[in-house]
Amino acid sequence: ATALMLCMFTVMGKAEGSVAREEWHGHVTALSVAPEFRRLGLAAKLMELLEEISEKKGGFFVDLFVRVSNQVAVNMYKQLGYSVYRTVLEYYSASNGEPDEDAYDMRKALSRDTEKKSIIPLPHPVRPEDIE
Amino acid sequence: ADYLDNGNNKMAIQQADKLLKKHKDLHCAKVLKAIGLQRTGKQDEAYALAQEVAALEPTDDNSLQALTILYREMHRPELVTKLYEAAVKKVPNSEEYHSHLFMAYARVGEYKKMQQAGMALYKIVPKNPYYFWSVMSLIMQSISAQDENLSKTMFLPLAERMVEKMVKEDKIEAEAEVELYYMILERLEKYKEALDVVRGKLGEKLTSELQSRENKCMAMYKKLRRWPECNALSRRLLLKNSDDWQFYITYFDSVFQLIDESWTPPPEEEHSLEGEVHYSIEQAVKFIEERITEESKSSRPLRGPYLAKLELIRRLRYRGCNDEYKLGDPEELMFQYFKKFGDKPCCFTDLKVFVDLLPSSQYTKFISQLLEVIPLSATAENEIALPADIKALQQHLCVVQLSRLLGIYHAMDKKQKLTVVRELMLRYRHGLEFGKSCLKTELQFSDYYCLLAVHLLLDLWLEGEETAVWQCLTLLEEGLSHSPSNAQFKLLLIRIYCRLGAFEPVAELYSSLDAKHIQHDTIGYLLTRYAESLGHYAAASQSCNFALRFFHSNQKDTSEYIIQAYKYGAFEKIPEFIAFRNRLNSSLHFAQVRTERMLLDLLLEANISTSLEESIKSMSLSPEEDDIPWKDLRDNRDLTVLFNWDPKDRDISEEHRKLSLEEETMWLRIRSLTLRLVSGLPTLSHTILPKNSEKTAENGVSSKIDTIRSLLQQLEAAVDSGKKFLEQKIQYPVLGPPPTRMAGFFSNGSCQCQTSLFYLVSDIYELDTNGLEDSAEIQERIGNSFKSLVERLTDLFNKCKGDLIEVGDGTLKTHPNLLENLVFFVETISIALWVSSYCDSVLRPFKSNLQKKKKKKKESSVTMPPVFTHFLDYVTELQTLTSNVIDHIKGLEIILTALKLEELSLKDTLLLQEEKKFTKTVQGKVQSSYHHSVQEIGELLKKRLDTIKKLKI
Repeated sequence: ATALMLCMFTVMGKAEGSVAREEWHGHVTALSVAPEFRRLGLAAKLMELLEEISEKKGGFFVDLFVRVSNQVAVNMYKQLGYSVYRTVLEYYSASNGEPDEDAYDMRKALSRDTEKKSIIPLPHPVRPEDIE
Repeated sequence: ADYLDNGNNKMAIQQADKLLKKHKDLHCAKVLKAIGLQRTGKQDEAYALAQEVAALEPTDDNSLQALTILYREMHRPELVTKLYEAAVKKVPNSEEYHSHLFMAYARVGEYKKMQQAGMALYKIVPKNPYYFWSVMSLIMQSISAQDENLSKTMFLPLAERMVEKMVKEDKIEAEAEVELYYMILERLEKYKEALDVVRGKLGEKLTSELQSRENKCMAMYKKLRRWPECNALSRRLLLKNSDDWQFYITYFDSVFQLIDESWTPPPEEEHSLEGEVHYSIEQAVKFIEERITEESKSSRPLRGPYLAKLELIRRLRYRGCNDEYKLGDPEELMFQYFKKFGDKPCCFTDLKVFVDLLPSSQYTKFISQLLEVIPLSATAENEIALPADIKALQQHLCVVQLSRLLGIYHAMDKKQKLTVVRELMLRYRHGLEFGKSCLKTELQFSDYYCLLAVHLLLDLWLEGEETAVWQCLTLLEEGLSHSPSNAQFKLLLIRIYCRLGAFEPVAELYSSLDAKHIQHDTIGYLLTRYAESLGHYAAASQSCNFALRFFHSNQKDTSEYIIQAYKYGAFEKIPEFIAFRNRLNSSLHFAQVRTERMLLDLLLEANISTSLEESIKSMSLSPEEDDIPWKDLRDNRDLTVLFNWDPKDRDISEEHRKLSLEEETMWLRIRSLTLRLVSGLPTLSHTILPKNSEKTAENGVSSKIDTIRSLLQQLEAAVDSGKKFLEQKIQYPVLGPPPTRMAGFFSNGSCQCQTSLFYLVSDIYELDTNGLEDSAEIQERIGNSFKSLVERLTDLFNKCKGDLIEVGDGTLKTHPNLLENLVFFVETISIALWVSSYCDSVLRPFKSNLQKKKKKKKESSVTMPPVFTHFLDYVTELQTLTSNVIDHIKGLEIILTALKLEELSLKDTLLLQEEKKFTKTVQGKVQSSYHHSVQEIGELLKKRLDTIKKLKI
């Protein structure tokens, strides 16, 4: 595969009632581009497409998780208009003896969220078990 | 229940018992106890307890859910359907139970019942999804119907009518429902109607996928061969996005179709449903040129228009046109393309498609033309000019890849090749500078230089330069140390280590690839082909297990995916999931690991830790059963997983794939027949045979020997076709499909040994039925078989002799075939011993009978028939032979331990000091791996030797 993107539409688990509607969003589960097809703007293109679909589906925002250490990706998402909403502590469980790694939960508000409420950064980091 | 969740099954059982003492008929407690029992391995008790509750037809949520969990863990999903069938009978208006029933049917694929359950649900609660569940079930019936006519005349039309009814009543709500409608019409080949749906009001609902409507329309236009619409639509889509390659293809296809049909637009009307149509080459040329002009205004450079121009040239050339349309010289266009996109890693793959447009006489000129425009700078006179930034490096790398593709390196002599290797390695190391800040998970920019250097060395190795292969490994290990996530380095290391007979480093490399899911099917062959054949039995078991775990869980997982698809209305995915499951079930690799895993288990355990009979029973093996879908076997191997830049004539071809599948299938047939023949041995033995032949037929033993004889005939036939196949002497490309073990099996003589052993079984059976008297001829035949078997096994042993690692003056060579022969020896001797123990089970009762007679009559005239001595001699010789082989292996171990490779300096390699460090690592790994192989083989053989002692009657 040249490039791969997995995404889903979801409502946050805890949200209820009228809040539920404001939590309706597109979520990027995974995004990867084969080494040979990098530097062509494919990732940006894919993100753009997801945002387009999310707009059509009436989502409030698009979000994704990314390793804190993955500066290349974090910068790319920032360029695409995403901002860090919160830090999720030890979200990525490590393999072969290395420490667990934190994730940034990055978000971009869609046009339906007129006041951009969905992306106001949280003051404190959260634990993985608290995000659902 | 908490105890169960925590995995404390014993406590759960105790608590459930306590509750049951108080409330004798608390169903739920019983089921929870049953779950505890199931999880502690008491399946039978668990089942009995569960059935007790199920018989009462419970209708409380807790019991039903707990039973569902239990049945799923028991792998008895069909029992869940029974459970909810009873529940909905008692509570006919429960939406919940009906929907559970539907899902239970979905899990076992009861499509007809799903259809009914869906409708029943809809009647209780008229929600659209339920109605469409029922419709989808009809489609599934049509897909699974053997009779295509039935599916086209009954199931699909019924589904269509059901949807039409909803359309007429204006009840269509969701996108999924429209998708489903489209799916039905498409399957009915009602493309016109499908088109109307997509283009009409219902089509507006198709929003989840981008350009979903356009893509569907296009598919229908193609089916209907409506080229004007195909053309107009792709033209329109290209105007919107001139970088979407698929639409260039449809655009060109349709233009040429229209030209061939001499199509002209209707007068005074729109060209087509989709607008303006291009129907001449001039129009196409103009259109593409316009795309290029447009591109120059775009903010981001787009590759599509330029590649489209080359594609158009290619198509025109194919139709016999040269440059009548003034599109330009492909060489110049490719040069321009390189100038524009040469710094993108994809530039090589883009141009690869079009190198056929270059005349071979221009190759060298083309390459130097490209080189000239790359900004390289040399620090001093006579030094190699190096790139100053990543872009220049990418450009240069692209040219190197193209050079290899155009065969420029292939044409060089040894000295030139080695010079290029040195240059590439220098460039590789220089390029590492640009990647200093790369994470461990990222690749180095210059990795391909290293890989290309290795490919050149591989060429040299295949041309007979023995030392080149060590240099390959050295450079790859060096590359991997700088770029630990580079899968190509790992894959190539795996292939080369295996070729050299060293499996030990492979296991670690493969595990660091972190192969997941489908990859166990597509690249698992890299492991399973070599692990066992090189005597790494433990690793072989493990690699089979990885694959088998995936294949088995896939079966279960697919049901879950299907359930989810129903829940979310992703109907079009359901047939895909099922096709995927079928694809895996008929996988060649699956059949291979299944067979090899069982053969391996027998080899390691049968008559060592458990009896052959028990082993076979625990695998539920029977000689009559063949579970391999021979006709549908699918080769899911990814044979292009390793990169290469070889010209077409050296690359893996379709023919290679076909031949490799043929070879693999033949080898699998031989292995599967061997397994079935072995599994037939216990069915013959220790049956007290009545003399009455009718009775023998009745209790089925005579049919068992018939099975064995028929399998033996099939084995002979399979061996024959295998031999014929090998006569073609096919050479796969070195990075292409690995050859099977079949050639070794024939040439080292183990094939002949194994077939003779199975013939011997047939003779022994005959002796068993005929008795000792009047069987002189059979006894003699058996005696001769024994003798020739010992000779053949000794020959096989002779084929194992020699140094595994040969150290010469500045040279180092491994002999993996000796290792493979040893492994075949162990397998063959194991079969010989299983057959011997069958023989033993036949002779032993005869002997004790004779001894009884002897005692009774106190006569000395009762002589021992010759077969006893033959057998005794045979067993003694097997014992001696096995001991000799064990001694030989011990000798090999000593040599391998004593081998001091670090002092060896390989000639012709020009290794740098820093490289020598890696060479030592590599040689050490190979040496240690051989040591490991020899040890495992030796240990198994010792265990086999112990079993011989039991055979002395």
